[in-house]
Amino acid sequence: MIRPYATTLILMFTVYCLGCNSKGPSASDPNQITVGVAFETLQTEYWVAGFDAIKSELASRDIAVLEAIADGDPNRQLQQVKNFITRRVNGIILVPKDAKSCIPAIRAANAANIPIVLFNRPASETDAKSVAVQANNFEISKETVSFLIEQARKSGTKTKAMIVLGDLGDINAVGRRDGFEAAVQGNEEFIEVVARVPSEWNQEKAQAGVVNALQANPDIGLIFTSSDFLLPSIISALKAANKYHKFNEPGHVIMGGFDGDATAYQMLRDGYLDATGVQDVYFEAKASVQAVLDMRDGKDVEPLIQDPGFVIHRDNMEEKAASTWGANVQPAN
Amino acid sequence: MVSRFVHSGYLTLLLCGVYCLAVGTWVPGFFTLENAHNVLLALLPLLVVATGQTVVLMTAGIDLSVTSIIAITSVIGAQLITSDGGPLAENWLATPIAAIAMLCLGVGLGLANGICVAVLKMPAFIATLTSMMFLSGLAIWWTQSEQIYNLPRSFLSIGNQLGSVLLITILLTGSVHFLINRTLFGMRLRAVGHNPLAARTSGVPVSKTIVWAYVLSGFTAALASVLITGQLETGSPVQWENNLLDIVGATVIGGTSLYGGRGSVIWTASGVLLLSLIDSSLNLLSLSHFTIMMIKGAVILLAALLDTLRYRVNEGNH
Repeated sequence: MIRPYATTLILMFTVYCLGCNSKGPSASDPNQITVGVAFETLQTEYWVAGFDAIKSELASRDIAVLEAIADGDPNRQLQQVKNFITRRVNGIILVPKDAKSCIPAIRAANAANIPIVLFNRPASETDAKSVAVQANNFEISKETVSFLIEQARKSGTKTKAMIVLGDLGDINAVGRRDGFEAAVQGNEEFIEVVARVPSEWNQEKAQAGVVNALQANPDIGLIFTSSDFLLPSIISALKAANKYHKFNEPGHVIMGGFDGDATAYQMLRDGYLDATGVQDVYFEAKASVQAVLDMRDGKDVEPLIQDPGFVIHRDNMEEKAASTWGANVQPAN
Repeated sequence: MVSRFVHSGYLTLLLCGVYCLAVGTWVPGFFTLENAHNVLLALLPLLVVATGQTVVLMTAGIDLSVTSIIAITSVIGAQLITSDGGPLAENWLATPIAAIAMLCLGVGLGLANGICVAVLKMPAFIATLTSMMFLSGLAIWWTQSEQIYNLPRSFLSIGNQLGSVLLITILLTGSVHFLINRTLFGMRLRAVGHNPLAARTSGVPVSKTIVWAYVLSGFTAALASVLITGQLETGSPVQWENNLLDIVGATVIGGTSLYGGRGSVIWTASGVLLLSLIDSSLNLLSLSHFTIMMIKGAVILLAALLDTLRYRVNEGNH
């Protein structure tokens, strides 16, 4: 039984090899620049906005795009990057699943001499060469939480606080947590952190954690979430505890977030959210595309390009709306 | 003749050839040595784990825990040898010890699954589904969701060098092919899958055969884990968690029956090849992941329908 199979397989392999062109596909227009954009996920508004901003930036420069979404699977993402290389792209913009499993993909791009830029998530320390564009998570979070603490100080009493953590395998989540802790440090007479709720970037886990924390500490008066996409889970838990009120209503829980998505912007407008740290997605998209082109032209590019971001709150809302990406998209729900 | 052709599993191999010719001419980059290398490197770990799944399906069982066995063995193996504090980091035998530990763990977990199914008489679906949940949770808890990096080059080269992956896969699939087609164990697998009661009456050690099938599945999952961890240079508690459909799907597309009693490693190889060709070509076309999932799902559904038709025809013939 194995013989006919082997014969057929050998025939197929021969046909495949005869069809093979070791130089790869020839471009229809050799002057056309093509960039492969591979995202780990499009699960949150931020990633969708980033994906659209990059595509729009590339289109504005007449650069063709190849797209790929890995749905959270680093193995699939590695194959997608290899496919980009097979398609002979001129550059790759990658949102990796995490800082470590992307390194083989960076190595593959390095071996093919294709510039690779990591959007929003840098790789761990490695000999593989890439450029990362990333928000300054620490500073933006610190500034946001400092604003929240200022609000809490106005009450004149010590406020109990909660942070909803992200996936601590993600360097962004670590930066945001550290920014929160740094803002609290030195303000212990006004703030007491009573709950650090892990979410692993999962809305259900976040909701369960916030519900539990509110049961254990019903007098929590300040909540900071490591990402705005977790806000719906927090709202749900606050509503269940009858603690979801506007800033000018009694019982208001001071709330802040990170990202600047559409939900957060709407909550700011409605008076439920006090502040959120905004990642400037337009800056990050532009910087990523520029870095790919500069690397392609052989220019020196800094390994980490930082998006300084900014904090949007009630007092500067009108002024900052134009550069807040969440103000320009519809909320997901 | 046509009936024999459809029943033989040749159909999938023919489909591979037709698919290659059909898409190869217009999918950019499909007919390149680079793509052939990529497809091969990606499909071999899938073939390794699908080989174990073939043996389990032949007993009319199913092993849903393979992806979680891949994950737990990946993190345990990586933790032993990572230069970020692994106990074997400085040991020159780190790579073989870690690989053997991973394989032993895979065998142990397969044995536990086999005992649940064959001795405790739990339905295979529930026994392996709960194993999957438990082991996935355990892997995440054990690592606190951390990825494990900085593995020794000797370990990585097992998984990221085409030569070594090919050699390991050929050795494994060749051995299991021999086991299924040339040994008493293979005959017992078919007998148990066709009719366990009749098999028991004929003196076949049904429970023992089923336990060995799950042990083999655990072993192949752990072996695949060695290759995947090397390819990704990372031990991950969620390693391959989204690939269960590909593993079972490739086996069924090849022609191995979900009803048991019928299967072949070569058929599975055809199924793995077809699924990988579809995946690669659709990726090269830059289609979205969701479109690729839908197309692959449709192909697997068709294969399952074909399997049901074959089963009914066979039932009618008896």
